[in-house]
Amino acid sequence: MIYNVRHLTTLHYAGLVRLARFNVRLKPAPWPGQVLHDYRLTIDPLPWTVQEESGPFIVNRSRLTIRQPLGDLSIESRFRVEVAAPSFAMEIAVGPTVTQIRKLALTRKDLSASSPASYLYASPIAQLAPEIADWSREFFDPELSVLAAGRSLMEAIHCQFQYDDKATGTDTKPLEAFRARGGVCQDFAHIMIVAARAHGIPAAYVSGYLRTLPPPGKPRLVGADAMHAWVNLWCGDELGWIGFDPTNNLVTQADHIFVAMGRDYSDVAPLDGVYHGGAGQKMDVAVDVEPVS
Amino acid sequence: MNRLRDYPVNADAGDLFRGATSEIVEKWEVLAGGLCALSEESGIPIQDIVSRQIADLGMSYLIAGDAEERPWPLAPMPLVIGAQEWEGIERGLIQRARLLEEVAADIYGPQRLVKDGLLPAAAITGSMYFARNLVGLQPSGNHYIHVYAVDLARGPEGQWRILSDRLRLANGVGYALENRLAMSRGTGALLHNINTRRLAHFFSELREGIGRDCQREDPRIALLTPGRFNQSYPEQAHLARYLGFPLVEGRDLTVSEDRLYVRTIAGPKRLDAVWRWIDTNALDPLTFDANSAIGVPDLFDAWARGGLEMANWPGVEVLESPTFSAFLPRLSSALLGEDTLLPNVATWWCGQPDEAQSVRERLDELVITAAFGEPVEGIQGRKPVAPARLGAKERERLLNAMERRPMDYCGQEIVHLSTTPALIEGEFLPRPFTLRAFVARGSDGEWIVMPGGFARISASDEISTTLMGEGDFSADVCVVDRLPTPQFGTTVLAGTPSIRRGGGFLASQAADNLYWLGRYCERAEATVRITRSLLGSSIEVDVAAGHSPEVHSLLAQLLHSWGAISAAGAKMPVQDVGRSVLTEKVLPGGVVRLIDNMRTVGLSLRDRLAPDFWRLANRPVPELASYPPGAMFRVARDLVERFSALSGMIAENLVKGPTWRFLDLGRRIERALSICRMIRQLCSAQVGTEALNVLLDLCDSQITYRSRYLAGAFRDPVLDLLLLDPENPRSLVYQLQTVQDHIEALPRLGERQLPEQPQREARAMLAPFLSLTVDALDANLLEETEARLLALSEAITARYFLQYEKSDQSDADNLLA
Repeated sequence: MIYNVRHLTTLHYAGLVRLARFNVRLKPAPWPGQVLHDYRLTIDPLPWTVQEESGPFIVNRSRLTIRQPLGDLSIESRFRVEVAAPSFAMEIAVGPTVTQIRKLALTRKDLSASSPASYLYASPIAQLAPEIADWSREFFDPELSVLAAGRSLMEAIHCQFQYDDKATGTDTKPLEAFRARGGVCQDFAHIMIVAARAHGIPAAYVSGYLRTLPPPGKPRLVGADAMHAWVNLWCGDELGWIGFDPTNNLVTQADHIFVAMGRDYSDVAPLDGVYHGGAGQKMDVAVDVEPVS
Repeated sequence: MNRLRDYPVNADAGDLFRGATSEIVEKWEVLAGGLCALSEESGIPIQDIVSRQIADLGMSYLIAGDAEERPWPLAPMPLVIGAQEWEGIERGLIQRARLLEEVAADIYGPQRLVKDGLLPAAAITGSMYFARNLVGLQPSGNHYIHVYAVDLARGPEGQWRILSDRLRLANGVGYALENRLAMSRGTGALLHNINTRRLAHFFSELREGIGRDCQREDPRIALLTPGRFNQSYPEQAHLARYLGFPLVEGRDLTVSEDRLYVRTIAGPKRLDAVWRWIDTNALDPLTFDANSAIGVPDLFDAWARGGLEMANWPGVEVLESPTFSAFLPRLSSALLGEDTLLPNVATWWCGQPDEAQSVRERLDELVITAAFGEPVEGIQGRKPVAPARLGAKERERLLNAMERRPMDYCGQEIVHLSTTPALIEGEFLPRPFTLRAFVARGSDGEWIVMPGGFARISASDEISTTLMGEGDFSADVCVVDRLPTPQFGTTVLAGTPSIRRGGGFLASQAADNLYWLGRYCERAEATVRITRSLLGSSIEVDVAAGHSPEVHSLLAQLLHSWGAISAAGAKMPVQDVGRSVLTEKVLPGGVVRLIDNMRTVGLSLRDRLAPDFWRLANRPVPELASYPPGAMFRVARDLVERFSALSGMIAENLVKGPTWRFLDLGRRIERALSICRMIRQLCSAQVGTEALNVLLDLCDSQITYRSRYLAGAFRDPVLDLLLLDPENPRSLVYQLQTVQDHIEALPRLGERQLPEQPQREARAMLAPFLSLTVDALDANLLEETEARLLALSEAITARYFLQYEKSDQSDADNLLA
């Protein structure tokens, strides 16, 4: 599939903001099966400096410095991307068992940004939670393949938790969302990450997009009007990282566009930064993902 | 007489003293005898002698969760370690430091240890301090580690062992220094007489070790603190003072074009190096934790590209997790080709199947530790758990968690501690101890170990995981030579420092705090003076019975308009007004609040103020059981005396540089405001002699007036003395003149040296008073001057202090209003 993606963020500050410095993490990082074309980031007003960097996880970061006092800011990210579905048949793939993955994750001689070891431990938002560990125990039969365990965990989250964009905020902790039995894609992803890691399975947070309008005859996916989030589980050397979208109960295919991967939301937050003054802000987001072919 | 003869420990018990060679035993006995003699000669228990030194040094510490600092607990009896035994420790620690440096350089460099299978990737990524974005960056001075603290245990057989490595914070290094200072001051030549090695050399080497790695000659090095709420803030302030490093917080700093600057009253000044007391993750909110409020945005750029030297280099904390103890012995052979000289606690990381298996099998002989220092399931906090002591259910829970996430756990051998003689209520008793030692890079870049360190003496055999736990004591550690050795004098150091004057730079934040310290101090004094006057004139015996109702009401209103008492309080009889002034805790102008505020801003100025000043300013308002006027009068009088003592210290002890100027500026502006307000209040309509006398009293000018005028108080002479006499240090014009002098002496920005806003304000304010005579005094002038003073205060704030972070200034705003 080829998509045209446009993501417009507008910010309005109640008071003037000075010496603003932002991290924007909207440019899709390189990912197997994905080819990026014509990326353009447009900032209004024009920043004093823009520094492009990649890392420390699978993420691109643009650092903006805006020197003039700021009341309104708009950030537009536009690109065209080709997404290929995985080359193997997801339905019949098996892969290593939970026990094997646990062991492999600990012994692989790899410290890179995509190494399983990097996504094995508690992270700033995805802290260990015995409650979630106990709840998810039934999905991690040691002899089951991780792919199958991931599917049943994903399905359990999809069925047992209510999609509710009023229940949580961007800083809700996974355990709170777990107890409330509700939340949005970000919360579901964090709960799934905490559950998988509790059983020694490397799990990563992925930010990205969904196609806005479904193919004819298919339902519209939840989370298509904003940035979306899902989970990558490491399924061994051959399968690598496989995407699980608990919000839609889907193993990701060509409908999911990868932007960034980190330990949790804090590593890939689309926008964060520091500034002086301001006192309250209003943010609007518009996302448009249009299939070209 | 041998004081240690009856020490109740057998020779084979592994005690530090009992196990010493005869030469060292002799030193112990000299020390024990000397301490007891000191106490007997002076009639003061030795513990009190030492505690008094601690109080004089202003040493204190915070226990996590406590609001109040506690006095630092120092046991009088030091530990004595002979040069020979110490040499073994020293060599072991230097080897350890070399090894840690090599491992850090590999993890943040080629990562060969992981590729070669000597170090599992998951043993690194488990630490929250592994800073992935630092991989591939070289420290500007090529050194990852500058200061390294390490906890040591001495086993019953006299075998020393490394308990834990500390690369994040060298907590305790300041307390080791302070312990020694307190002991030397309290015990005269005693430590010298047993040939104790001195510590000073270590600290000068540490400072030069950081300096040598900087790019500029004569580098500017700062100590970066998380701020006064941090547990080890008192220690950081002491260290900064001792080493001559400015103490800075994140908000004092700014990064521009990849360089780090401190905001000072004279504009930004570049820093070459930072001794950080902040975790890597909190250093830069744009690069690490976006919620960090104590870091500096873009600080990463400064060390990555701008040549900023960091001690220690960010990310090295990854090495301090217990997991590394499982690998370091092996890595020593691989990287250094040497066996470890000083073993660490035997450790097995359960992230490896064989190790996990053997830990499970020997569970009851071991303790289980969180592998990366952070709490994990079954292990709350940093304290290891002994499975042997767990109940069946908890044990099951722990085993289950270890099955699911083995990599979160380490098994460690149980360490037993040997004892040392502690002097407890006049008796020497054995107590278990651990030793924190310190290693640093010296002026030549090579490692140097502090001869000594600080010992933690605990009541139980349990190994504490905090710097100082409840009920623990610290003790000095004396490394002694057999013969007196030449101590490192100034000749051995790398040349004497070049002569300097002035106090370095003054950070904008510190200037802000000094200014407000001055204002709070003066406002508190004025409030107490009015209260004292209400409670009884200080000089007129016959007025002591009380003021006339009119004057009483004027003074009470004045107190109310300053926010010292409530509106209802102002209508009450004398003793009730006095009581509300002394006990009011809510209103911003209440004395208790003002002294509290002094203390709060004073805390951030620890490194600049003498301990004496600090102690006096820190003393709370005495609380009385009941409030009879006589007792309240005494309290008010004592408080006035206290403020006079503070003024005296400011005038006599502070170098007449910017520090003093900002402190004094605050006092002068506040005093000028008080004079204006008091005169307007008491000279409003028909001026009675009594009101004029009160005014002379409040402005402390009664004696001067009487020596100058034989007649009683008259309006014009009084106003001339209090407003226009440039020689009277309590007059308005004197305050305005001093304010102007201060502002003229402060640095100006820019090449052209044009007068800035504060200068123009100060000059304009002073000008009318220079040509005024009392008969031409216009009633509006005082009101105008008050407004000008407030405008000046704002101009000073805008020009010299930080502009954007003003969240904690709500009280200040109240005072201005």
